[in-house]
Amino acid sequence: MTQLNIELAHAEAGVRAEHSESLTRRSIRRLLRKKIAVACLVVIAVFYTVGAFAPLIAPYGYAEQNLDLSFNGPSLHHPFGTDRNGRDSLSRIILAARTTVVVTLATVATGMVLLPVSLGMLAGYRGGFVDAAINRTGEILSSMPGLPMLLLISATMRPRFVGWVKDFEGKIDVHWWRWLANFTGLCDQSQDATSCHHPLTSSGFADYFLIFAVLSLFGWVGGARLVRTQVLTLRRSEFILAAEASGASTRRILFQHILPNIMPIVIVGASAGLGSIAASEIGLTFLGVGIQPPHPSFGALITDGAPRTVLENHPELLLVPAAIVASLIFAFNLLGDALNDVFTSRAN
Amino acid sequence: MDGLAGYILRRLLFLPLTLLVVSFATFYITRWGPGDPVSVYSGQYRDEEAFARVRHRYGLDKPVIEQYGIYVQRLVLHGDFGVSFRFRDRSIPDVIGPKIWVSARLGVYAFILTFLIGIPAGVFAAVKQGSWLDPFVISVFLFFQSIPVLVMVPVLVLVFAAKLHWLPPGGFDGVFSTSMILPTVALSLPGIAGVARLARATTLGTLNEDFVRTARAKGLDEMTIMTRHIARNSLVPVMTTVIGLSLVGLIEGALFTETLLGIPGIGRFMFESVNGRDYNVILAVVLMGTTAFVFANLLVDLALIVIDPRVRAGRGAR
Amino acid sequence: MSSKLTLGIVGVAAALIIGLAVILVVVAGGGGDKKDTSATTGSGTPAASATKAGADFGGKAASGELRLRGEDPLFLDPAVAQDAGSAVYIVEIFSGLVRLDKDLKIQPDVAESWDASADGKTLTFHLNKKATFQDGRPVTTDDIKYSFERALSPDTGSVTSENFLGDIVGAKEVSRGRSKVISGLKVIDDSTLSITLDAAKPYFLYKLAYPTAFIVDRRQIEANPKRWTQKPNGTGPYKLKEWKLGEKITLEAYDNHHLGAPKLKTVRYDLTGGSSLVAYEDGDIDITGIGLDDLDRIQDPADKLHKEYTQTPRQSIDYLGFNTNVPPFDDPLVRQAFALAVDRKKIAEVVLKGAIPVATGILAPGVPGYSADDKTYPFDPQKAKDLLAQSKYAGKLPEITLAESGAGATVGPTTEAIVQFWKDNLGVDVKIQQAESGTFFQDIDNGRYQMFHLGWIMDYPDPEDVLDILFYSKSKQNNTRYNNPAIDAKLEAARTEADTEKRLTIYQDVEKQLIKDAVWVPMFFDTTHALVKPYVKGFEFPPVIIERFRDVEVTR
Repeated sequence: MTQLNIELAHAEAGVRAEHSESLTRRSIRRLLRKKIAVACLVVIAVFYTVGAFAPLIAPYGYAEQNLDLSFNGPSLHHPFGTDRNGRDSLSRIILAARTTVVVTLATVATGMVLLPVSLGMLAGYRGGFVDAAINRTGEILSSMPGLPMLLLISATMRPRFVGWVKDFEGKIDVHWWRWLANFTGLCDQSQDATSCHHPLTSSGFADYFLIFAVLSLFGWVGGARLVRTQVLTLRRSEFILAAEASGASTRRILFQHILPNIMPIVIVGASAGLGSIAASEIGLTFLGVGIQPPHPSFGALITDGAPRTVLENHPELLLVPAAIVASLIFAFNLLGDALNDVFTSRAN
Repeated sequence: MDGLAGYILRRLLFLPLTLLVVSFATFYITRWGPGDPVSVYSGQYRDEEAFARVRHRYGLDKPVIEQYGIYVQRLVLHGDFGVSFRFRDRSIPDVIGPKIWVSARLGVYAFILTFLIGIPAGVFAAVKQGSWLDPFVISVFLFFQSIPVLVMVPVLVLVFAAKLHWLPPGGFDGVFSTSMILPTVALSLPGIAGVARLARATTLGTLNEDFVRTARAKGLDEMTIMTRHIARNSLVPVMTTVIGLSLVGLIEGALFTETLLGIPGIGRFMFESVNGRDYNVILAVVLMGTTAFVFANLLVDLALIVIDPRVRAGRGAR
Repeated sequence: MSSKLTLGIVGVAAALIIGLAVILVVVAGGGGDKKDTSATTGSGTPAASATKAGADFGGKAASGELRLRGEDPLFLDPAVAQDAGSAVYIVEIFSGLVRLDKDLKIQPDVAESWDASADGKTLTFHLNKKATFQDGRPVTTDDIKYSFERALSPDTGSVTSENFLGDIVGAKEVSRGRSKVISGLKVIDDSTLSITLDAAKPYFLYKLAYPTAFIVDRRQIEANPKRWTQKPNGTGPYKLKEWKLGEKITLEAYDNHHLGAPKLKTVRYDLTGGSSLVAYEDGDIDITGIGLDDLDRIQDPADKLHKEYTQTPRQSIDYLGFNTNVPPFDDPLVRQAFALAVDRKKIAEVVLKGAIPVATGILAPGVPGYSADDKTYPFDPQKAKDLLAQSKYAGKLPEITLAESGAGATVGPTTEAIVQFWKDNLGVDVKIQQAESGTFFQDIDNGRYQMFHLGWIMDYPDPEDVLDILFYSKSKQNNTRYNNPAIDAKLEAARTEADTEKRLTIYQDVEKQLIKDAVWVPMFFDTTHALVKPYVKGFEFPPVIIERFRDVEVTR
């Protein structure tokens, strides 16, 4: 269904080629005039800010337990209650938000932006053999059932992959790298000294690398196809032909002329993608192929809160994280809608 | 229709190549990872030498390429998918057949429900464009789409099964029983938004088309115009495009819903097979899934071509 | 109607139908539950000597029906099946020379009596002449020989046969493909056979009661080598009457069973999945297990289900094991420190809601040699810190990983709680590594993990099944890599010690030593929590998987 969403977003964004600057500026202004879009942006901004600064905001640690306070309801010290091990729900939510922030940004950056854009541009601009090759590969990839393949690849390749990353990290164990990791919050030198020697593996990020690599691998096809169509149309437009005639290099043409004009598609796609990645993380973690414990994740929180008796007696443990994540996804979806309207309303 | 027959043929010829690539990739991936059916299946007794003997007996210690060759040969020449390591006394179609049946039924129900609600909703929203109802309707369904399945299902179970006792809380009583209601609803809710939006978009498109204006000019009343022209022309592109995309999601099997509700479908079975490293089952399901995808896509494209000549002309740009 | 619309509808309908057809073709190829799972049973015609139910064997005919929820067995071949799901059915359909009764004592089954030679190495079994397969054919010693040789044969693909039958002289030759015949197993006549072991091992009889040593029907297997397990002809008290994959299994009493007709006639398993507690409450099934989440409610005396609640111990243990070969756990002080730093009682109370008892040793209640006194390290965070400071890794502990089998979303709250205790009390950050069972055991075998959280289920009630198998330095199951010659010597002595008292004392000694050395941290024993309807009488929850329907009466 997420694929469907993205395809729709793209389908509705049939944009004509135009000169870049006024498009962007006008679009932004138009967007900001819509109240809904602004509200969505606010929600997203709040979420991402909280996520980015999570370790500073969360009152308790993610795993900090107190077995005497098991399953306490909301209280002054624990506004969202505690779970089975007496861990503070609010803190766990805040820290899980950070994982979501990192994961969505990384995945979308590669799988929904980099890959489709580059491959789509290549295919559309170069044409010929390159085009055919990319198309065929895309067809094969999109014929494979994605989820089973994801499960399979995760089950079989994950341990080895994490091992590779760990070895790799061992080789680049230099001072400034560790400092950077600590700064961005991948690891926490004050909490656990050894984690910053292998920040990618100990933060669980290496684990997720593989997942989003696979997700990107199976997910780029739709976006690339649309980019390609757009590029094909652009190619015949006057100012491209003029640029080519004046001897501009391919690189220049691609980056300066074509890229800005496919931005609308990319933006809409990215917005939908961010939401869908946040959603799929939950399901994947539930299945055991997403974020591995003990790293914070919404998937873990929701899985913990989902069993019937827990849900019956302590609904807040499921409903609060669920509401927060759902709001984020909803905000992304609405934003995508608004962006659509902005980009297409001129066409009509 | 030379071009059409040729087109179909070209697409179909691509299938064996696709299957070959897919099967090869899957075969290698399954063999690559740690764990194999023998060691997974065994209980607490870990006897590596005994494992080695059993692996030898099932040919699992041969070089991978040789195993692959044997597999392909057996499949192509005898139509034999091999033996499931966990269910050794049944053929693989025997094992997966009933499960696909269950998932397919569930998928069809969800599919129908999605369209049943989605299309009228979309058309309604398009017609009411400008009023608050338009964005509201779409937003409501978008909201449902934003709720993760993992949240939706337990909540639905809690409300409808545990508290209200209207529906059974899962399990599977047969494809026509009340136990299918919950999963159908859970599966269809997210899709409605998409269908509605597309229906709305195409309806809006046709609302502005010339022939509608002509109809209005002719003096036909609103009602007739709406039902006849708009609905008809919106339906077709909506359905054909979205079918292809939805089929993708449904064929995969509603893994989460099946796991949470204890439905013996193919999604959950695939998950169990991956964990159990049941190589032959995994391969069979992946191959079947791929075949189904390719056919579904082909059919959708065909339908689109046959119905809408404009699309045929624009074939190249696709 | 315009042609466009018609075309559209037709096109869409065609797409749907053909798409479905693809799927259905596969299904039709399978058929599954529509076809009858046919297979020949035995030689075809029931033996002429089959008599009316109950007539020759006393007692009234079987009656009553018990309804349960269950899972599909994977494979009903007793020599091969490794999972509890299949074992539950196998122990009813098949049987062996001897069996375990509900007190886990050895009782005769197909063998009526047996005697041991003077040196204890040779056992001579006399078959019960009334023993028959479920198609009526009498059991002969040839069948036993066939069953054992088949179980060991590499063609059968069993991973446990060498463990359970390997003590017989010549057995290993068969399992390694060097011979087709077990030299130590001699058929003396139709109803007498002798088995010679490589040493006088008193626990061997327990192994004969395990499914790997069950008797199978040669004629059936040879007639239908691939599908005989779909309708097996065994020697147990219940026939597999019907098995619809994913739907149901029906077991029906075999009235001519040589130990007497079972009291309960039919057992019906519902395989469709879904909550069994709800089914129990709705009256659809008669017995159900209780999950942790519902336990609270049912243990409350005010709850209406409380009267039907039973609790029985199981012979299994949940433990933390240390890899004694790798840092830092090659230092016993570190291991002891970790053992002292976990408050197991608290975890049991809070996280597990008191559902299972804290382990007081390695031998579980009911295992011979069990004693109720607590031999384990208590919760003493201060002592833990001290010991850690004294160890050779004080201040420079390497990164430590606790491995656990699982593929779910979260590590069990128990493991998380344990790790947190180490953080709080020792200041050590232990990483949790989840691995699916496929790779988990392999990695343990390869010594990759420093410590692991595992469980061990007793297969037969003898301390050898845990202390020897897991701690003997040369044992294949020794995942802690523990190598202590003193312990080894004691274990070897205990294997052939004829005096039971003395033997158990040796094992108890070994147990104390192992705990003191902190090779394991025994965490919890296990308990079965269940609800049984009041009209079901005589149902027991044996601590290991053995047959249990024979004496049940359902007066519904």
